[in-house]
Amino acid sequence: MKRLRLMSGAVAIVTLFMAGISSADTISYADAVSALAKDCGKDIKKLCSGLNLGNNRIQDCLQKNEAKVSPTCTSTLTSVTASISQRQAAQTGFFKLCEHDAAEFCKGVKGEGNILACLLKTKRIDNGKCNQAITDAGWR
Amino acid sequence: MLAHRLRAGLALGLLLAAGPVAAQQLTDRQLVTSLSQVSSEAPAIDIALLMEEANANVGKGVANQPNWSQLTHLAQLLVEIDFENDSVAIEPQSYRTVGLIADALHHPNLMFYKFLVVGHTSSTGDARHNLKLSQERADAIREALTTTFAVSPDRLYAVGVGQEMPVDAANPKAASNRRVQLINLGMVK
Repeated sequence: MKRLRLMSGAVAIVTLFMAGISSADTISYADAVSALAKDCGKDIKKLCSGLNLGNNRIQDCLQKNEAKVSPTCTSTLTSVTASISQRQAAQTGFFKLCEHDAAEFCKGVKGEGNILACLLKTKRIDNGKCNQAITDAGWR
Repeated sequence: MLAHRLRAGLALGLLLAAGPVAAQQLTDRQLVTSLSQVSSEAPAIDIALLMEEANANVGKGVANQPNWSQLTHLAQLLVEIDFENDSVAIEPQSYRTVGLIADALHHPNLMFYKFLVVGHTSSTGDARHNLKLSQERADAIREALTTTFAVSPDRLYAVGVGQEMPVDAANPKAASNRRVQLINLGMVK
C-alpha cells in the first residue's frame, strides 16, 4: 500500500496525539474531504491548480508547498489523513473482530450486508470490540 | 422517504431532463440504497463496446446504440462533479461528492459490487474533444476512488460519452447535461 506508506509518518504522530482524545472518532470520506475542501480549497486552487485528488497529488502538492500553505490547512490535512486511516483499519478489521459474534448471534445469515444488519440488531454485542468496529467503520 | 424520492428523481431524470442530484442533498445512505437495487437479470456490460459505439457516433448520439441503451436497466444514480475548465482536476467543492461515493462503495451492502463511472458533457465545444475530455474525467474520478479513497481497482470502470447522451436532449448545451453517472454492474466475480 503505497499510499499508506507515504503517510505513515504523519499518521503515527497524529494517532498518538488523537489516542489521548478519543480512539473511537473516525469520520467518513465525505466529511474528511469536505474538511479538506473547506480548509485547503483556497490553497489548492492557488498552488495545486490542474492537479487531482487521485494518487495523493493534492496531499503531495500541499506538503511540498507547506511554507505557502495556511497553517489551518496543514493541520486539517494531517488530521484528515489520520482519521481516514483509522476508519479504513476499522473497515478492514470488521470481519475478523465480528467473526465470533456473527457466528454466535447471526448463524446462517449470508452476505456481509445482511450480517452487518443482523449484528446491528443484536443488543448483546453492545459493549464488545465488534460493536466498536462497527462504529469506527461508520456503518451505523 | 428520501431514498425513494431520489430514486424516483433518477427514473424521471432521464425522461424529464431533471438535473443531477445536488451534493448537499446526497447522503451515504441514499447512495447505498439507490445503488443496491440490483435486478437478477441485469445485462452484462462490455466497456470496450461502449467506447466503440461512442467513438463511432461522435455528434450523432448513442442513446439508441445497443450497448448504451442497456445501461438504463441497471441500478444507478446521477451526481454532479465539477471540474476546472478543460481539465481533469476536480474542483474542491466537489470533493464531498467523490467522498460520498467512496463511503457508499465501502459499505458492506455494496463492497462486492462493480461500478461504472460514466462522464457526460454538454454540447458546448467540439464533440470529439468533449468525448475525449469526458473519458479523461471519468478516468480521473476512477483514479481518485481507487487511490485516495482505497476502492479496489477491479471494482471500478470508467467510460466517457461526451455530449452523446444528453439528459436534456431539447437543450443539449444546458449545464444539466454535464454529469456523472454511477452504475452498478453487478457482483465482482
